[in-house]
Amino acid sequence: MSENSTVKEAYVELKKVNKHFKDFHATDNVDISIPKGRLVALLGPSGSGKTTILRMIAGLEHPDSGEIWIDGKKVNDIPGSERGIGFVFQSYALFRYMTVYDNIAFGLRIKKVPEKEIKEKVTELLKLISCEGLEKRYPSQLSGGQRQRVAFARALAPNPNILLLDEPFAAIDAKVRLELRTWLREMITKLKITSIFVTHDQDEAIEVADEIIVTNQGRVEQAGTPRELYSHPKTPFVAQFIGNSLPVKNYDDFRFFEKYEDEVTAIIRPEFVNVYKKGEKVQFLSSAEEATVEDIIFRGSSFEIKVRLHGNLISAYRSIIEPAVEVGEKVDVFIYRMFLIKNEEISIISNQSLKQESVVI
Amino acid sequence: MDIRKENRILKWVLIIISFVFLAVFLILPLIYIIVTAFRDGLSGYIKGITDEYALKATGLTIKATIIAVLVNTIFGLAAAWCITKYSFKGKKILSTFIDLPVTVSPIIAGLIYVLTFGRQGALYKYLDPLGIKIIFAVPGIVLATVFVTFPFISRELIPILTAQGTDEEEAAALMGAGTFTIFRKVTLPHVKWALLYGVVLCTARAMGEFGAVSVLSGHLRGKTNTLPLYIELLYQGYDFTGAFAASSILVIMAIIVLVLRLILEHKGKKELDVSRR
Repeated sequence: MSENSTVKEAYVELKKVNKHFKDFHATDNVDISIPKGRLVALLGPSGSGKTTILRMIAGLEHPDSGEIWIDGKKVNDIPGSERGIGFVFQSYALFRYMTVYDNIAFGLRIKKVPEKEIKEKVTELLKLISCEGLEKRYPSQLSGGQRQRVAFARALAPNPNILLLDEPFAAIDAKVRLELRTWLREMITKLKITSIFVTHDQDEAIEVADEIIVTNQGRVEQAGTPRELYSHPKTPFVAQFIGNSLPVKNYDDFRFFEKYEDEVTAIIRPEFVNVYKKGEKVQFLSSAEEATVEDIIFRGSSFEIKVRLHGNLISAYRSIIEPAVEVGEKVDVFIYRMFLIKNEEISIISNQSLKQESVVI
Repeated sequence: MDIRKENRILKWVLIIISFVFLAVFLILPLIYIIVTAFRDGLSGYIKGITDEYALKATGLTIKATIIAVLVNTIFGLAAAWCITKYSFKGKKILSTFIDLPVTVSPIIAGLIYVLTFGRQGALYKYLDPLGIKIIFAVPGIVLATVFVTFPFISRELIPILTAQGTDEEEAAALMGAGTFTIFRKVTLPHVKWALLYGVVLCTARAMGEFGAVSVLSGHLRGKTNTLPLYIELLYQGYDFTGAFAASSILVIMAIIVLVLRLILEHKGKKELDVSRR
């Protein structure tokens, strides 16, 4: 197999796919292209159509119009079981009256694989998911994390080409979820299997996926790497959905930000903002503005500082090793840039003083 | 303190009411049945239950019960399956009509079939030339029994299948399992106890059915008389020993079913705990 030549080609492709549930337009003219070996997240709020897309790729739902292609074949009329797909359900859907062993072996038994080979495969998978010794247990006797991993192993057992995961971490408590995210990412990278997972949690998508497809109201808003989505949102929805985004109407009140046109909104994210204690020696102090701290939230590795500036409650992060600020304290605030939303377009506006300074240098 | 005392009084009052009620309405009559059955001694009792017609009636009751249970098991599974796993037009109507036989008086059930299959009935002129007799014959009795026990099995299955959802079936289907395999390996283990419980309820009801069967049977001794009809016949003929001896057969059958039900409930609950924990 010449893997390099196929890397850029679309392995899973949706072309102008539409799907209605009665009056609800769940998928609206969706075009998606996913290269082989990628780990892709379908990210969007609930009801945005991400699960429907996943279920259509799996053959669990059928599009009203449009085409679905997998590995160069149109699969609209091919049943899900023949598309080479492993599916991990949100509820895991483990067969509750079968042991862990029988759950993982199920797909292989359907394929009439000899029992000896099944045993080898199941043993190998149990090792992979670190669940050796649990083969005689029933799903009810497993922890949430173990169930998730067994569901993962069961989906992988018949050697699928594509792994689909529907909200794989939704039913797991926070601590285990973080572990499982890392685990899943490592596992999929190791197996080099094309994977698509659905999530409504942007942190999860950003952390786990190579590429994110953002969906909203049945449409694809933007597809790209987490960094691209973060720094170059193409639609207002993405700009607001990704990151901790604050819409600001009176952006031209801020120092060194000019007014562009009427009826526009700017978006400020905490990472665009620096908060300085009075007397701190910093680069842009001369162009900073004074504001009052209204709230401080401890985030573990940093503080989120909320300051009131021109009527807006603006968030910024401050490292815990920097001198602490207090509520009510006057601080200097410097804003690097904002996203500007005009109609359906996004542009980035930078603090004018940055330009001046670069001119000076 | 006072509340606890009051609670204890209430507890005993409720217990006594329950037991007295049970004694007066159930235990006493049961004892009466046995005493009357043995009124003419053991030989009288044996004569009563080994009577040719009593045996034939028992046989017919068992036959009608088995057929009704089989038919309703198949229908119940099919109906419960389609109501819970698919969405289609008329689902609500189907779901509502399944319950009709329990709400309608059995006598009406009997009359419906007389009107449908009887000499005045719409289907009579097609069935008669074929030599198919339904009214006042065994098929009528079976039909009536099927009708009155119609919803017992599907009603046990529907809540369980609804609670289970369709994820496990979808998972199995995605791995290439056919419908029958999915049913056998995924759905059936899940509904097994509920199904058996439904069968037990259905059996109990089928054995004792009187009203609908009475209308359709024609009361031909040794031919179309089920056990309950036979008992009534003997009773009307002042043969109390015979009537109560025959009743005792029905009572024994009912007790067997009751014990089965207890065992099933116990086992099913245990397994449900395993699957839910």
